[in-house]
Amino acid sequence: MSTSQLGDRARGWWQRRETRGIFAIWTVLTIALIAFGFVPSHIMGPPASPTMRAVEDTMTIFTIAAAPVAAIVWAIALYSLLRWRHRGDEIPTQDGPAIRSNGPATTVWLVLSSILCAFLLIWGLAEETAVARPATAANALVINVTGQQWVWTFSYPGQGNVESDQLYLPLNRPVVFHVTSKDVIHSFWIVQMGIKIDANPGESTETSVIPDRLGVFDIRCAELCGLLHADMETSAHVVNADDFARWVNANGGHV
Amino acid sequence: MSEAVVQHGAVARPVGGGAMRRLHLGTALAGGLILGFVAWYLSHHFLADTDDPEASNQVTSITMVGWAIGFMIGIGAFRGPWRWMLGKDQTHEDETFYAGKDQGIGRYFRFTTDHKVVGIQYLVVTMVLLAVGGTLAMMIRTDLITKDSRFLGPQTYNSVVGLHGLVMIIATIIMVTGPFGNFIVPIMIGARDMAFPRLNALSLWLIVAAIPVLLSAGFLGGIPTGWSGYAPLSDQAPPGMDAYLMTIIIFAISSAIAGANITTTILTMRARGMTWNRTPIFVWGTMASVGLAIPAFPMFMSAMVLLGVDRTAGAQFFVASAGGSPWLYANLFWIMGHPEVYVIVIPAVAALMEIAPVFARKPLFNYNAAVLAIVGIVGLSIMVWAHHMYASGWAPDLNGPFMLTTELISIPTGLLFLVVVGTIWRGRVWTTLPMLAVYAMLWNFIIGGITGIYLSDVPADYALHGSMFVTAHFHYTLMGAGLTGAIGALAYWFPKMTGRTLHKRAGFISFWLVQIGFNVTFIGMFAVGLAGQPRRVEHYASLFGVGNFVSTMGAYTIGIGMLVLLYAVVSSWRHGAIAISNPWGSKTLEWTVPNPIPLENFEVLPVVIADPYGYGEGDPALTGVGAGATPVTVGSGPPERTSVGSDGEST
Amino acid sequence: MTSVTIGSPDLHIEDPDVIGRRWRTGLLLLIVADGAFVASLIFSYLYLRGLNTEKAWLAAGQQTAAIWVAWLISGLLAVSALIFRWGQQGIQAGSERRLLTGATFALLVLIADAVIQVIQLVQFPFGIDTSAYSSTIYTMAGANLFHLLLTIFLGIAMVNRTRAHIYSDTSNWQVRLVGVWWTWIALAAIASALATSFIASPNH
Repeated sequence: MSTSQLGDRARGWWQRRETRGIFAIWTVLTIALIAFGFVPSHIMGPPASPTMRAVEDTMTIFTIAAAPVAAIVWAIALYSLLRWRHRGDEIPTQDGPAIRSNGPATTVWLVLSSILCAFLLIWGLAEETAVARPATAANALVINVTGQQWVWTFSYPGQGNVESDQLYLPLNRPVVFHVTSKDVIHSFWIVQMGIKIDANPGESTETSVIPDRLGVFDIRCAELCGLLHADMETSAHVVNADDFARWVNANGGHV
Repeated sequence: MSEAVVQHGAVARPVGGGAMRRLHLGTALAGGLILGFVAWYLSHHFLADTDDPEASNQVTSITMVGWAIGFMIGIGAFRGPWRWMLGKDQTHEDETFYAGKDQGIGRYFRFTTDHKVVGIQYLVVTMVLLAVGGTLAMMIRTDLITKDSRFLGPQTYNSVVGLHGLVMIIATIIMVTGPFGNFIVPIMIGARDMAFPRLNALSLWLIVAAIPVLLSAGFLGGIPTGWSGYAPLSDQAPPGMDAYLMTIIIFAISSAIAGANITTTILTMRARGMTWNRTPIFVWGTMASVGLAIPAFPMFMSAMVLLGVDRTAGAQFFVASAGGSPWLYANLFWIMGHPEVYVIVIPAVAALMEIAPVFARKPLFNYNAAVLAIVGIVGLSIMVWAHHMYASGWAPDLNGPFMLTTELISIPTGLLFLVVVGTIWRGRVWTTLPMLAVYAMLWNFIIGGITGIYLSDVPADYALHGSMFVTAHFHYTLMGAGLTGAIGALAYWFPKMTGRTLHKRAGFISFWLVQIGFNVTFIGMFAVGLAGQPRRVEHYASLFGVGNFVSTMGAYTIGIGMLVLLYAVVSSWRHGAIAISNPWGSKTLEWTVPNPIPLENFEVLPVVIADPYGYGEGDPALTGVGAGATPVTVGSGPPERTSVGSDGEST
Repeated sequence: MTSVTIGSPDLHIEDPDVIGRRWRTGLLLLIVADGAFVASLIFSYLYLRGLNTEKAWLAAGQQTAAIWVAWLISGLLAVSALIFRWGQQGIQAGSERRLLTGATFALLVLIADAVIQVIQLVQFPFGIDTSAYSSTIYTMAGANLFHLLLTIFLGIAMVNRTRAHIYSDTSNWQVRLVGVWWTWIALAAIASALATSFIASPNH
């Protein structure tokens, strides 16, 4: 806070008791929040695509960037409470100092929040470009996804229109999904790959991803679609290219 | 009220009112039931001879329109316009009767125009809605206590989720601007009543008429779509959906009327000398909220009209095979839907900004920034709606621009934090219940804000959209900041509105139960959302078991806390200690009028010569005086402790 | 100090002109609300037309509404608004007779307009369920009819109240505000007629 309103004590504002107190609380809170910044990506689990990795990094970076801001608000509020608290039922007999505004503090606050905001935007735009990249890959596998109450159907137009209610994806090959619906709005979500796009009746929407981890992942419907919405889930199997070819052939298609 | 009587030289005996003397809530219910039955009988007779779902939707809609019109006739809402059309204007005695003069408790059950009566009516309506919505929340959390409890079953569960959403949205929209915007704001700006007292009563009774319509949805097949009512799922829903859309249509009319009324009151009726930079920040917040609702809710209403025409007349607005589009619904819904969250949050935060200076005993820090922040949020809020549709596929190219506008909102929102924390800084932090609410808001709203930043990021939103993470995020804003602000406002203005002191101990117990329960509930919900649990599912994978159990325990804690608050409010209202007229030593005008507040608030209208935040500025008349001193009013000595009447005004 | 109190207790009864200015603000705000509603209907029309989902904005071989009817309805509405305005200027100049004549004729034109609107609604050469186009046309016509009925109520009130000698050259704010509303619904009807003049979707 500004020096002018805090009396004419000789020492600089950084030497004052309250500055030091707040700085101490702020440091502790900031460190704690930065440490906490790694929790969201941990809960989200190991990513199964570069997209999900980018999202988890975003969660961590944003939490860390927000940590000092949240910490300073809480530190000032907490310090004021601990130091100048008034208890009881009577109105305090003395008022606080009549600080009506503080130009430098407001300016610093505005500049910092603008810089943070610009950072969020630039980060987000770069990230958005990055996660859209698989859509333009030359060797992309095209899969048509159809939602209907309450099942998903996947068909592979480039593989002789193989149809399945389980999703099979070859490892490390870009996939483009064309998503539509036969009845109401559904939302196609491969949880561990961090992609989601609504399935709209009468429209085709698009999303894309590069699966880069072998395993079985969760596909859930993320838009309330009626009675059995909760049951509208299936699995995404990410397999080697050979296993994928075998699966396609076994289902009457050709690679 | 003795003063008013003396003033007009009239005697307290029945004059004026005419037929309105015989109309009250009872006749309104009778009127609604009769006309509703007639509408049902006729429409059923002429329309419902087929199994066509459209026919049953028609019957439902017509019946509800009949109910609502009958109810409004029965309460006397149309009498004023009718007499105006005939050229027979109300007399002054009529107006005095409508204002509820000398009617005791009965005036709360009539089409009463006194803003203080309307404020109390709004408060009771809000509490009823919160109780209903809270009970539904408990049912949801009970169903989710284990991964497969099947406590409600999918059909009932979906309905309960939808009803909880809509009931709570309506409750939270009215919870600050309804009770406090009506009761407090006119006194705060030094006015004798609202600009349009009859429209004020109209907006209140429209909501009352809508409540049975809303609740009837539960018996008409429910609202299987969530509160967002996304088409085309809502096209194929049972007649409960008609109850839903009729509720919103009535509510949108009510809020347009209330918005025009409150905004006009603030624009044109501030006391002499109350320039814009002397206007209390809560007044700004109220005006921002109701002013934003004026253009926003009609969009929602039009979405509901289109949906109603689809459902009852077979129109094709949202049917893709006939050229309709679900994206039309989503756009109309969210053009209203995002401003709506600020309609809820801004007045609550503004109330806390009004509270912070009083209990820090310091001027509001950077008043101009606070006003600019509110204006900035309002301006930006109408340009961000499509961040709810990043994953809809509607216009992927617009995701970037909408990310920009959404993230820009963090700048004015950040300013609000600066204002509050700057006010608290070095203040004499007087830890009363209202001040605790300010602190709780600082905690909750920062978490709500930061999680909002994740969701504003397009790729992160692809991962999190439609998950429990979103549910937790908006509860942190609407409940953590909104409801907390409303509770703070209630605790702050309770002595003025009821003339009684709120039970302190029960208030504190409830505060801690609610806040701890709230954080437990929604931190659990954040976790399961991050781990991949979708919203609005009735059962879930075992992975989410622990988080959901924790959430349910937290929710029960909130429930108990809210019951304690209800006890505190009801018992204090009935037999709390009599409050003095200015127990907090506040400087806004509403604390200068005596308890109980006379019918027209001010015997002589005040002239404002400074803003109400002059704490610590060396005015001996204003600082360091004990409770009850009302030095701001020179002249009429406000009679203290004259009446024990708990309803504001005694005969 | 925050405030002082001065002035006379008699201020409890307010000047009609103060109330009139207040109502003017309130009316403008209500027009903003109604404007948002009208705008969202026009948006719905243009949006569905532009989107042309499944190329079904118009059903195959569907007849469309005659554009001139919508222009006739909005044109008559504009004429009635102008007639009312003529009467309103009369009372402002002190002629109660001119207001009565103006309000009466404006009301009659308005009622005729409402009748034409009803005829248009029942005579559309398609059902409401034919296509997205049909649905929107019906709904916009219905919204306009609602506007007309509301304004007929105001028109009747104007005639009654003028006959009851309520208005004069010094006290006529209600007349002026009804004039503002009347002008607004004429503009809304013209905007709707303009939008619905563009029928075929640009998106083939």
